Amino acid sequence: MIHSLPPGTLMIVGGLLIPLLWRSAQSAMALVLTIGSLVLFLLTPSGEYGQIELFGQSLVLVRIDPLSRIFGVIFHIAAIVSAIYALHLKDAKQHVAAMVYAGGAIGACCAGDLITLFFYWELTAISSVFLVWASNTERSYRSGIRYLIIQVGSGVLLLSGAIVRYVETGSIRFDLLVEPGASMSAGTLLIFLAFGIKCAFPLLHNWLQDAYPEATVTGAVFLSAFTTKLAIYSLARGFAGTESLIWIGCVMTLFPILFAVIENDLRRVLAYSLNNQLGFMVVGIGIGTDLAISGAAAHAFCHILYKALLFMSMGAVLYRVGTVKATELGGLYKSMPWTTVFCMVGAGSIAGFPLLSGFISKSMIITAAAEEHMLLVWIVLLIASAGVMEHSGIKIPFFAFFSHDSGKRPKEAPWNMLLAMGIAAAFCIGLGVGFPWLYRYLPTLPDYEPYTWPHVVTQLQLLLFAALAFVVLMLTKLYPAELRRINLDTDWIYRRLLPRLIGWIGRGVQQADGLVRGWVMRDLKGLLECLSQRFGERGLLGGTWTTGVMAVWATIVLCLCLLLNYL
Amino acid sequence: MNEKEQVEMSEAPQGWFYQPANIRLLIIGLVVACLASLGAEFLYTNDHPHFDAETWFGFQAWFGFAAFVVVVMLGKILRIFVSRPEDYYDS
Repeated sequence: MIHSLPPGTLMIVGGLLIPLLWRSAQSAMALVLTIGSLVLFLLTPSGEYGQIELFGQSLVLVRIDPLSRIFGVIFHIAAIVSAIYALHLKDAKQHVAAMVYAGGAIGACCAGDLITLFFYWELTAISSVFLVWASNTERSYRSGIRYLIIQVGSGVLLLSGAIVRYVETGSIRFDLLVEPGASMSAGTLLIFLAFGIKCAFPLLHNWLQDAYPEATVTGAVFLSAFTTKLAIYSLARGFAGTESLIWIGCVMTLFPILFAVIENDLRRVLAYSLNNQLGFMVVGIGIGTDLAISGAAAHAFCHILYKALLFMSMGAVLYRVGTVKATELGGLYKSMPWTTVFCMVGAGSIAGFPLLSGFISKSMIITAAAEEHMLLVWIVLLIASAGVMEHSGIKIPFFAFFSHDSGKRPKEAPWNMLLAMGIAAAFCIGLGVGFPWLYRYLPTLPDYEPYTWPHVVTQLQLLLFAALAFVVLMLTKLYPAELRRINLDTDWIYRRLLPRLIGWIGRGVQQADGLVRGWVMRDLKGLLECLSQRFGERGLLGGTWTTGVMAVWATIVLCLCLLLNYL
Repeated sequence: MNEKEQVEMSEAPQGWFYQPANIRLLIIGLVVACLASLGAEFLYTNDHPHFDAETWFGFQAWFGFAAFVVVVMLGKILRIFVSRPEDYYDS
């Protein structure tokens, strides 16, 4: 019985009941739900459960295998840590949204067919937008609308792809959708696009940098964990070994780091950084070897924790200071020492310092590329690694906690935030040191040893010399100063270009309409004048005739009739 | 009281990380660490390089330095094209 209950259901149903509780018990209940859900998930053995028939098709509500297991576990851990981080929060709306969102993501990674996946896909989209809207600002409202349209659009593409694929193959099962090297059918391409939107592929990415920085302090932590990693799971399940993913992933690792360099909002820097990290995973999925797929799964696992940690530290700054703009911050280490330390652990992890989690996962993907002798991909991933060191390893902690002293002395983060950050930081160190534990639960046990001399030394060289470059650029004042400005990205197309185009087209239509109306009115006026001349009182056809004239005309008409009759 | 209002303002920048001597110490420490990472290459031989570049002395060191500088410089160039006032979308 318990097996056929889709994982995450406890969080979804329990989350919807949270508003019925006392205000002070709501956040604790959210934490209890996440822990209870994890226990249930761990007690559920691998296999397929909850098969139901719908319109002649068999839906598999629960399919737990090693891939869904590892994502299910990390989604639960992220939900627990985020729930602890949100313990101080007294906003039922956010608790409900967070529980339904996290539960939906967990259900999605255990879905055995595309229709069940679609259901959870849309559930995560609709529930998560409330975490953006909960900021209660005009900006967050507009950003949330854009986010919702794009996310729901992704779901519509997924459903369309599932239907077309059913027509093509007669199956809606969610397994490998395209063999490596094979071309994609129309249905598969639609599903690929749906996954690509949620995974923030280049040019489809900007909902991420648009919406996440507008979310609430706690909402951004939840958001950072689930949506994009659900897409990574889906790609790993359906498109492992699809070569185009290698190049898509390479672009994803590179372009966000340029935007991150010049971005002033540090939570937006983290959003670009998230995009860059997804690129590493996408490359791994595209390479498709056992080491690469396991590397992508391991990197997703580690990434969720250190990215949540970084979002939590910036959230704590936002909570205490009221802003995360680099131009407004600096010197916060003095009054927020614990937050500073935890942020630096997250920064070290994402940069890939040995003994921290990023090192043992990212290096798997880079090594997988090297083992396949993909020189260009290897070079790109090295450049991206130096870029990560720039925007997340150095920029985030440096400008928030050190740099020029802003003079602000906020209080340290609340105890629950510190506890959540401490747990995430412990995971970052624990995974970096105790990596065999993680490797054992990967889809395939990798034949890989991260702590070899060449790995450790070359990685340290890359990171330390990148840090040295930062020092040199700062001392020579070549490092770009933080500015109170924003940067245009692809959202400019639908926030500025399209509205303007529609405005121009509207004005053009209005002018053309006025012109045509003018012509028609002028011609109509002429016609009316002509008619009034003909049929008016003095007109030939409308004027009043005398009786004599009428008699003459009547006689003529009668004569004509007679004449015609005899002809 | 609102959390944002609890932020207190203080005077001159004091603290360990703002003392020039300490900053110099940190930089020296970084340079020493960089040199140590280079020197560590003499402690092993990479028996299974995938690419020739992996056998070049200090490849990832100078590559990391150069990549960092290039990324930052490209970012500066990008700023010329995409930077706008903060109220750009509000106007």
